[in-house]
Amino acid sequence: MDLPALLVSATLLAGLYATMSYGLALIYGVMKIVNLAHAGVMMWGAYLAFLFITAMGINPFLAPLLTVPVFFFLGILMQRYIVRRVMSAPPISSLLLLFGVWLIMQNISYLLFSGDTRAITTKYTLSTFLVGGISISLNRLVVFCVGILALVSLRYFLGHTYMGKAIRATAQDGDASKLVGIDTARVMEVAFGIGTALAGLAGSLMALIFAFDPDFGRSHLLKGFCIVVLGGLESVVGVALGSLVLAIAEALSVFWIMPAMQDFVSFALLVTVLVVMPGGMLGVLQKFKRDDFPPAGGKGEDAPL
Amino acid sequence: MLRSRKTWLYLAGLIFLLWIPFSGIGGGYLQTLGFLTFLYVALSTAWNILGGYAGQTSFGHGTFYGLGAYTTSVLVLRGMHPLATLPLAGLVASCYALLWGYPCLRLRGQYFAIATIGVGEATRLLMLNLDDLIKDNAWLKGVLHEGVLTGGATGLMLPTPGDIHSYAFGFYYGAMGLMFASLLVSWKVKNSKFGLGLLAINMDLDAAETLGVKTAYYKNLALMLSAFMVGIGGSIYAQYVFYIDPQTVFGFPMSIAMVLMPTIGGIGTLMGPVWGAVVYIVVQDQILTANLEFGDFKLSLSSLHLLIYGGLLVLIVLFEPKGILGLHKRLAAAWAKRKKENSGKDHPPAGSG
Repeated sequence: MDLPALLVSATLLAGLYATMSYGLALIYGVMKIVNLAHAGVMMWGAYLAFLFITAMGINPFLAPLLTVPVFFFLGILMQRYIVRRVMSAPPISSLLLLFGVWLIMQNISYLLFSGDTRAITTKYTLSTFLVGGISISLNRLVVFCVGILALVSLRYFLGHTYMGKAIRATAQDGDASKLVGIDTARVMEVAFGIGTALAGLAGSLMALIFAFDPDFGRSHLLKGFCIVVLGGLESVVGVALGSLVLAIAEALSVFWIMPAMQDFVSFALLVTVLVVMPGGMLGVLQKFKRDDFPPAGGKGEDAPL
Repeated sequence: MLRSRKTWLYLAGLIFLLWIPFSGIGGGYLQTLGFLTFLYVALSTAWNILGGYAGQTSFGHGTFYGLGAYTTSVLVLRGMHPLATLPLAGLVASCYALLWGYPCLRLRGQYFAIATIGVGEATRLLMLNLDDLIKDNAWLKGVLHEGVLTGGATGLMLPTPGDIHSYAFGFYYGAMGLMFASLLVSWKVKNSKFGLGLLAINMDLDAAETLGVKTAYYKNLALMLSAFMVGIGGSIYAQYVFYIDPQTVFGFPMSIAMVLMPTIGGIGTLMGPVWGAVVYIVVQDQILTANLEFGDFKLSLSSLHLLIYGGLLVLIVLFEPKGILGLHKRLAAAWAKRKKENSGKDHPPAGSG
C-alpha cells in the first residue's frame, strides 16, 4: 500500500476513533471517573453487531445504529446500580470497580461466544472504489460517516437541548449545577448512558473492519485514552484532532517501522503524551493565548500532574 | 495468653510449611502449590509497597516480572550460572522501573494507572518483536545468540537439570526465602521514615510535599524496590519452569494478578497481600480446576476465572474496600460485641436483683 492511500484510510479510521474516544471523554468530563469498562462495552458492541448481522440478517450498515439504544440503557443501569456507589470514594476505587466489570463482561463473552476470533464478512467488505487514483474501502467510508454523524448529532444535543446543557454544566462544576437546580444524579445517568452508547456504536462499527475476540477492546481502550489526552478533554474538536494524529501516527509506523509494531507506537505515544503535554494539543496552543484554559481533567485534584 | 497462642499457631504453620517437601503429601503436588503460593505472596507484597503504601496503582508490574524472567533466561543461555543471574534480574527490572517510572510517576492517581497499562502493553509488544527489529541492525546483531535474543512469540527454552526432584526441592525453599525476604522488606519499609513518607503521599500528595516529603524521590524509590523483588520473582519462575514466552510473563493477566492479590487481601497492610495471594492461588488451583455436573449440564469452572476475579474485585470495592483484613476486623468486632452482650445477660448488674 502506498503512502497516500494509507493516509486516506487512516483518516477514515480517525472518524471511528473519535466516536470511541468521545464516550470516554464525556464520562470523564461529567463524573471524573476513568471508565475501564469502556473496553468491555466496545467488545460487546462488536458481538451484538455480529449477532444482528449474521443471526438476524440485518443490513450491516444499519446494525450498528440498532445497538445504540441497547447500550444507552445498559449505561444507565451501570451508573444507577454500580458506579454511583463509588462516586464519593477515591478515584482509584472507581477505576478498580470498572476494571472488575470489564473482566466480568469479558468472561460472559467467553462463555457465550467462546474465545474464537470472529469477523463479519458481508458483500460490502471487499468492495472499494477509486477517487483520484486512490482506492477507498466502502466499508471504512460508511463507518467513518456513521461515526461523524453520531458526533455531529451529539454536538447538537449538547449545545441545543436542556439535558445537553445540563450535562455540560455538570461537567464544568457539579456543585454549582446542583445549586441552580440541575438534577445531577440524572444528568450523570444520561451522560454515562451516552458514553456507553458511543462505545457500543464504536465497537459495532469496528466489527465491520477488524476481527475481534473477547479480549478485543483493550488496545482500543488505550488508544482512546491516548486520543483523549492528546485532544484535551471536553472538546469535540480536540478529540477529532487527537484521533487524526493517532491514526496517522499508526499508519506511518506501519509504513516506516513494521506492521506488528503499530500498537506499540500508539501505546508509547499515550505514555509520552500523558507525561509531556497533559493539557493536550489544544492546551499547548492555548497556553500561548491565555492562561485560563483548564488543563486536561479540569482543575485541582483531577489534573494529571 | 492470646498473644502467645497466636505465636504458637504461626510457629506450627511455619514448621508445617518447612516439613511439606519431606513429607511427600500429595505426591509433590503440595510442594508445587507451596512454591507458587510463596512466589505470589512475594509478588503481591512487592506490588503493595508502591500500590498499597504509596497508593500508586500500577498495572505495569508484569514488565518487571517478564524482564526478570528474560534476563535470567538470556544470561543462562549464554552460559551463566542461574543463581548468579538473580541479582542481575532484579537490577534490570529496577533500572527499567526507573526508566518508565521517572516520567510516569509524575502523573497522579488514575492517570498513572492508565500510563502503566500503556507501558505494560508496549513492553509486551516490544518483546514480541524485538528479534525482528534488531536482526538487521549492524550494531545490535552482536547480542543475538544462535540468531535469537528473546525468541519472539516462541519464547526461550532453558536446559533442564538432571535431578529434577532435588532441583524443585531447592526451589521450594528458595521461594520461601524470597517470600520472607519480601515480607521483611515490606515490614521494614512500613515502620520507617520512608514508609511514613509513602503513607503521606497516599493520603495527600500536595500536603506531603508541603511538609517536605521528597515525593518524587520516594515514589521512584518505592517503584524500584518493588520492581527489584518482582524481577527476582520472575527470575525464579523462569528457572523453575524452564520455558518462558512474552504472553505468559509479560501478559496483562500477570499484571492483573499483582493488582488483584493485595486488593483482595487488604491494600496497604503488611499481611493483607499475603492472604490475598493465598486466596488467589487457592481460587486458581482448587476452584478453577473443578468441574461441576448437574445431570446433563456440565460446567468447567476454568471458563469462569475472569468472572470470579472480576466479581471479587467489584464486591470488594463496593462493600469492603479494605479486603479480607477489613472483613476480619469487622467480624471480630461484631463477635466481641455479641460476646459482651451475652456476658452482660448472664451476669446482671448487682443492683438490679
